[in-house]
Amino acid sequence: MTGSITFSDVSVQLGDQLALDSVSLSLDAQRVAVIGANGSGKSTFARVLGGLVAPSRGTVSVLGVDPQRQAAALRRLVGFVFSNPDAQIIMPTVAEDAAFSLRSEKLPRAESAERVRQTLREFGLTDLADRAAHDLSGGQKQLLALAGAVIRRPQLMIADEPTAYLDARNSRQIADHLLAPNDRQLVLVTHDLALPLRCDVAVLFEGGRMIGCGDPADIVSQYEASLSC
Amino acid sequence: MLTLYRPGTGWLHRAPAGPKVFGLLLIVLAVSILPSTWLSAAIGAAGAVVCYLVSRIGMVELGRQIVSLRWIVVVTFGFQVIFLPMESAVANTTRVVAAIVVAALLVLTTRVGDLLDAFERGLGVFSRFGLDPERVALVLAVAITTVPVLARLAVGVREAQRARGARLGVRSFVIPFLVVSLKHADDLGDALTARGVV
Amino acid sequence: MTDQTVQPTPVKPVSRWHIDATDIARIAVFAAITAVLGLPGAFPVFGSVPITAQTLGVMLAGAVLGAWRGALSMVVLLVLVALGLPLLAGGHGGLSVFVGPTAGYLFGWIVGTFVIGAIVHAGGRTLTWPRTIVGVLVGGILVVYAIGIPVTALVLRLPIGPTALQATVFLPFDLIKAAITVVVTMTLVRAYPRAFRMRPRDRA
Repeated sequence: MTGSITFSDVSVQLGDQLALDSVSLSLDAQRVAVIGANGSGKSTFARVLGGLVAPSRGTVSVLGVDPQRQAAALRRLVGFVFSNPDAQIIMPTVAEDAAFSLRSEKLPRAESAERVRQTLREFGLTDLADRAAHDLSGGQKQLLALAGAVIRRPQLMIADEPTAYLDARNSRQIADHLLAPNDRQLVLVTHDLALPLRCDVAVLFEGGRMIGCGDPADIVSQYEASLSC
Repeated sequence: MLTLYRPGTGWLHRAPAGPKVFGLLLIVLAVSILPSTWLSAAIGAAGAVVCYLVSRIGMVELGRQIVSLRWIVVVTFGFQVIFLPMESAVANTTRVVAAIVVAALLVLTTRVGDLLDAFERGLGVFSRFGLDPERVALVLAVAITTVPVLARLAVGVREAQRARGARLGVRSFVIPFLVVSLKHADDLGDALTARGVV
Repeated sequence: MTDQTVQPTPVKPVSRWHIDATDIARIAVFAAITAVLGLPGAFPVFGSVPITAQTLGVMLAGAVLGAWRGALSMVVLLVLVALGLPLLAGGHGGLSVFVGPTAGYLFGWIVGTFVIGAIVHAGGRTLTWPRTIVGVLVGGILVVYAIGIPVTALVLRLPIGPTALQATVFLPFDLIKAAITVVVTMTLVRAYPRAFRMRPRDRA
């Protein structure tokens, strides 16, 4: 099942800068790629979706939830992966960090241990379970960050340039995990123009405005055309 | 993780953390209230030696601890000799050193993780005053995880400035280091929010 | 997660001690900053003189985070030290530092950062040079010495006069660190203004 994302006339003012400028859109596709230059507003778009930034104007609905007024409900439905692998590690060891995401769910101990085991296996981190998380490589840390989001079984995964800090091989591994067939909805903010082609819909931002939304191949060409002139 | 723990299998190693804290603090307190006489200097020193022997930590470690305190010993004693009679100076210095080395037994024989758990349990007492032990434990865990990350960021800043030929100073080290650290704090805050901390 | 009916989040009972995710991160990070500034060679301010920058972190915690968060970051640092992490300058840690002659200075850090924060942030969000200077001198030096010196005297059973005299040996270094703190704080206001904003969501 895919949920839906609706923005009506959403603006975000950050300091003296208009980060999002009257954005209206409705997305039902399962995999949404978000592209655009630095400072175009794509990251702010993701942060509004994830409830990390409050819109100054307009209304937002994510899976039927208002991210600001129903923050606790949103947290249960949405997972978020950021760019910087170091800033997403919270607990000292790999297993503890993965388990941390389950804290607010108040699961029985055995069940949460089983979910940690299962998720670490899914991301190939089983052998590293007791290692200090900060000793992992950048790619492994990002896998752990992804594991920490997936373990909560979100219906929507938001990834804000999840491969920005990684080399080609690790980027590919993270992308494969995010784009693997599953029943989650995905919003993927990225600079890697190969990734939108693996999504169902692409959205293009420029100067805080949404200037394109549709077939990924078309939107990527539109973006590339705007770069060359 | 960086730690002062010395692995071992003696009974003090196996003792539960909570009672161990109380026991050692009791000894430290007893040593601290000894009067400033030759006799109490002897009692303090003997007490420390006995503690290290019965806990099977051994005299070698005691020696190592005292060596690491050499500056405290020198400054304390040197300063006291000027103002106080020899007996008081020796007794006070011995008393302080004995208290410090006995207190050190706690971290030498207990893993940080076990102490953290004991600390969190101990905080439960304060929960009726509105203190949330889980949240306190979370702040401590985040701080522990962050120390090595920031240490690495500091190395990065230093190398970047050296590469630019800058001498390390306030402008070229402290400010950039603080900016990357505070940026890290904001990212960490987002990650905590995204993972359900309100 | 099959149940899709979502209730509006009830207003959470916010306890007196409630700190949110942003606070947790900042408090923890400032405890870590202070620990890292105490590492040997972190910051050679005085050439080869082995004076660490740790108290710089103490003063900055109050000046940047404000009274409560600043003081809490020191509490966090000292709890970790008590639990045995060697985070004090020179790799010291464990309960033993709290029974030694310098224990009072450590407790002074907590009160000192609180006073620094209270004075520096007294005017709300705008920081001024005079208030920052006064705050750092009063909280970072006066308060810390006022707590540190009597405890040293008590532990060593010395009269307080000579103990205070001995402590003045460190005064020049602390004054230099206070000056650095003031300059760094006023620079950070321009270099990273977000750090001084108390609204956590004002960021892109």
